[in-house]
Amino acid sequence: MSVGEDRRRVALRINVLQWGAVAVFVTLAIGFWFLQVVQNDKYEEMAENNHQRTLALRAPRGVLFDRNGTVLVENRHSFTISIVREHSKNMARTVELLSHVAHLDPQQVQQILDRHRHEPSYRPIVVVEDATLGQVAAVTARRLDSELPDVVVEEVPARRYPAQAMAAHLFGYVGEANDSQVEAGATQGDIVGQQGFEKAYNDLLMGTDGAKRVVVNSVGREIRTLEEIPPIEGRRVQLTLDADLQKAAEDGFRHAGFNGAALILDPRNGEVLTYTSLPSYDPNDFSVGIDRATWNSLNTDKLKPLQNRVLQGRYSPGSTFKIVVATAALEEGLVTPDFKVTCSGGATFFGRYFKCHLKGGHGTVDMRHAIEKSCNVYFYTLGNMLGVDKIHKWAEKLGLAGKTGIDLPNEQESLVPSTEWKMKRYGEKWYAGETISVSIGQGQVAVTPASLAVMISTVANGGTRVTPHVLKAIDEGQGWKPVPAPAVADHTAFKPDTLAALRDGLWLVVNGSGTGGRARIPGYDVAGKTGTAQVISNQGRQAARGSDRDLRDHGFFVFFAPRDNPQIAGVIFAEHGEHGFLGAPIAKHVIETYFAKKEGRPLPELPPLAPPAGKDEDPDSPPALPAVDVADARGVVYGTVTPDGRFRETD
Amino acid sequence: MFERRLHFHIDWAMLIAVMALCFIGLANIYSATGGPTGIYVTQIYGILLGLIALTICLTIDYRTLADKSHFVYGGVVLLLVYVLFLGVVRGGSRRWIDFGPLNLQPSEFAKAALALVLAKFFAEGRRGGVARSDLLIAGAITVVPLVLIARQPDLGTAVTLVPVLFAAAFVAGMPMRIFGILALVGVLVAPVAWKFALQDYQKERISTFLDPSQDAKGAGYQQIQARITVGSGGVWGKGFQKGTQGQLRFLPVAHNDFIFSVLAEEHGLAGVLVALGLYLFVILRALEAAALAKDRLGSFLVLGVLASFTFQVVYNITMSAGLAPVKGLTLPLMSYGGSSMIATLAGFGLILNVRMRRFTN
Repeated sequence: MSVGEDRRRVALRINVLQWGAVAVFVTLAIGFWFLQVVQNDKYEEMAENNHQRTLALRAPRGVLFDRNGTVLVENRHSFTISIVREHSKNMARTVELLSHVAHLDPQQVQQILDRHRHEPSYRPIVVVEDATLGQVAAVTARRLDSELPDVVVEEVPARRYPAQAMAAHLFGYVGEANDSQVEAGATQGDIVGQQGFEKAYNDLLMGTDGAKRVVVNSVGREIRTLEEIPPIEGRRVQLTLDADLQKAAEDGFRHAGFNGAALILDPRNGEVLTYTSLPSYDPNDFSVGIDRATWNSLNTDKLKPLQNRVLQGRYSPGSTFKIVVATAALEEGLVTPDFKVTCSGGATFFGRYFKCHLKGGHGTVDMRHAIEKSCNVYFYTLGNMLGVDKIHKWAEKLGLAGKTGIDLPNEQESLVPSTEWKMKRYGEKWYAGETISVSIGQGQVAVTPASLAVMISTVANGGTRVTPHVLKAIDEGQGWKPVPAPAVADHTAFKPDTLAALRDGLWLVVNGSGTGGRARIPGYDVAGKTGTAQVISNQGRQAARGSDRDLRDHGFFVFFAPRDNPQIAGVIFAEHGEHGFLGAPIAKHVIETYFAKKEGRPLPELPPLAPPAGKDEDPDSPPALPAVDVADARGVVYGTVTPDGRFRETD
Repeated sequence: MFERRLHFHIDWAMLIAVMALCFIGLANIYSATGGPTGIYVTQIYGILLGLIALTICLTIDYRTLADKSHFVYGGVVLLLVYVLFLGVVRGGSRRWIDFGPLNLQPSEFAKAALALVLAKFFAEGRRGGVARSDLLIAGAITVVPLVLIARQPDLGTAVTLVPVLFAAAFVAGMPMRIFGILALVGVLVAPVAWKFALQDYQKERISTFLDPSQDAKGAGYQQIQARITVGSGGVWGKGFQKGTQGQLRFLPVAHNDFIFSVLAEEHGLAGVLVALGLYLFVILRALEAAALAKDRLGSFLVLGVLASFTFQVVYNITMSAGLAPVKGLTLPLMSYGGSSMIATLAGFGLILNVRMRRFTN
């Protein structure tokens, strides 16, 4: 082969290589064109997702103030530690390392992750709520070493409630939005009010979360902030509550040594001054997510600390109900305050003997003294004259039946029976004999402490049924703007005679020889009425002997002061307190605090706990009521009605 | 030896293109490492030393070099053996000889040495074709450094020796059917190699390439990130030092294996086309030098040097776009690496040498 041929072949093959090279580079250029031009949008978005992170900036909830500007509920800083699965390269290692440095149980961490595994991977899963500073420091150090690039520490505001669980049931608590709340418009993971004021005014308190868009590098470290929308704090809100009175009431209960409830109002407008339900829970336990053990123990506690007794507890009002009967009889014009009844220790109605609590009887009493002495026979007589429907009508007018309409959630209806109610409820007609028990607050009367507070306020102010409320003013950024009080629920101007008789009678209870002496404050004309509510009927008590249920009676004390121009009114409910008058000292302490504060005197202090008192005579102790025979028009008895309202046919 | 009139025949256009690529590489290293760091300075030294090597390779007549090529080849093989036992271990492989401030990577020089010795071998062979015995011998010459490098282990660099052999053999006149047979053997051997020859991490890289999402956080991560880096660059890029992928280290070893991705991100398709154009220009110019060469030796030498260069350029750029399995192959002229830079520029010295001396006797 010649040199020339060889050269030609070399040239030819080089030529092939030249074209080959051009072809390869054109292909590469097309490849880059495809990635950088055709698919540019997609990759640009992916690049952005890589290095941009949007962090939520939680808005603090609105701060709550009392009527004098004292801070009640505020916010504190807390830290949460979360895992962002999106950035995890090795989840098992992350769980192990995080558990090690933060002293957690790896199994629990894994369980938390499993629970949230269906959520999008960019959403942080909170592993530790309210982390300690030690945990925060340990995790942050590992993040700088980029050992835990998928773990984030976020600062979130958490609610701080007053010490000693003050007014816990009024404030309620907050928690992560549940499914139905999310359906109603909350965002998953939002902290919303779950109970009490936090729930009722959640929209006002919640504020608007902000956001921070940051640039992060491949190990998740924040390099710089691109954009920051600051969170907007929820509205500052002023409550009608008075922190000093609230404390006085709770001190009073602690001093008295029983649980119960108190609702104290300004009878002129329905402003709630004090709101107590005991035993209580600590709302702080909920503010960063309650742990399972605490939640379970709250739920299984026999004393029911979660129950909001003011609005949800329904009890027999006992003798406090006599105020309703008295008002009804006077306003209906059936009697005058001078109407007299002679009590010989009991009386017969419908063939049955109904006892008074005083064996020898009260003798002849008029309205004022019947109230003072809480004479059962007097009110049996009035009740019998009135009939159940008129009693019901006045109970409603005074605010003791139905709901009070307070601006807090989950209120229970108070029940005062009527013929219509019984027909609807049991399909049975009302028997006049049942009215006798009702007229002293027994039978099927079941009312909330809140409704009793409204009832006594209506009496105190002379017939205006105010709507209790706790919202006083809102700060929308330009200072406090008062919120008008809710409309009055009912208004009846009592006859002067009625009002005078009621006020005198109730004043005598405290200042005369009645049962409310423990609430007496010289010069301040406290008026009130005690009541004892049976937990169980006398027959049932025999049956339940030996069980571990607490069968001791409840006590009520309703009051207002001063007699002639009441500024404060309310109810003290002593759970298993046995005697209504035991609530009186609590009321006294609150009233004293109220006037001391108003007149600029130092607030009263409770004396050290007294030794246990001896046996007290309680005129309100419920008498053992007889069953009532029911006869037809010809006088043939065909059945009996038990004191709790059930009808039993005669065999 | 170096006659003055030879100056006129230096391919200044190619030299300028090569220097332009070095500069582009340097600028992107600056951007990727965040300023005038040690890496950046080392690269400048690499380029300067490379230019000295280029001058040396240009000055000595390539025929003289070819005559001594067995010494060069033998020297490189000895260095490779030395490295295998006494080299510096980094990242799990023994590739470097420690010279204090400078680490030498002999495998980079194996390419030029192999090109030289194979060019001489084929040039001395019979005209008009390559006998099978010639191929076997040439194959043996190639396999020795290849195995030594593969044992380091550095499969990527080892594989770049194969194009040297094929390019020289192809132009020397190797029958096309032998290519066919080799291709067939390759297909048959591949599964066996998969099973016995490849390390686990190598298998993983290949299987990940076929489906990056199966391991989005591990080996597939680099490939996905490379694609995002390039794709998000757009037409004009994000700007010098403004790339998010490279600057925030989503892209691994940005200044090294993925320097072209950095270019694509910060300067967009425009920058990519400029760089691709420069590379293509250099390659076509070198092929022209091969065609113009005075003798077979010159053509074979140019092609041998060019083959490993082109293979590496094309593979690295494809990988930079996330379109090929990730492999530790650098981009000649642009990636960070002193030995690679010196060896590559020395290779261009040889190419310029052949072209420059096309009229001399």
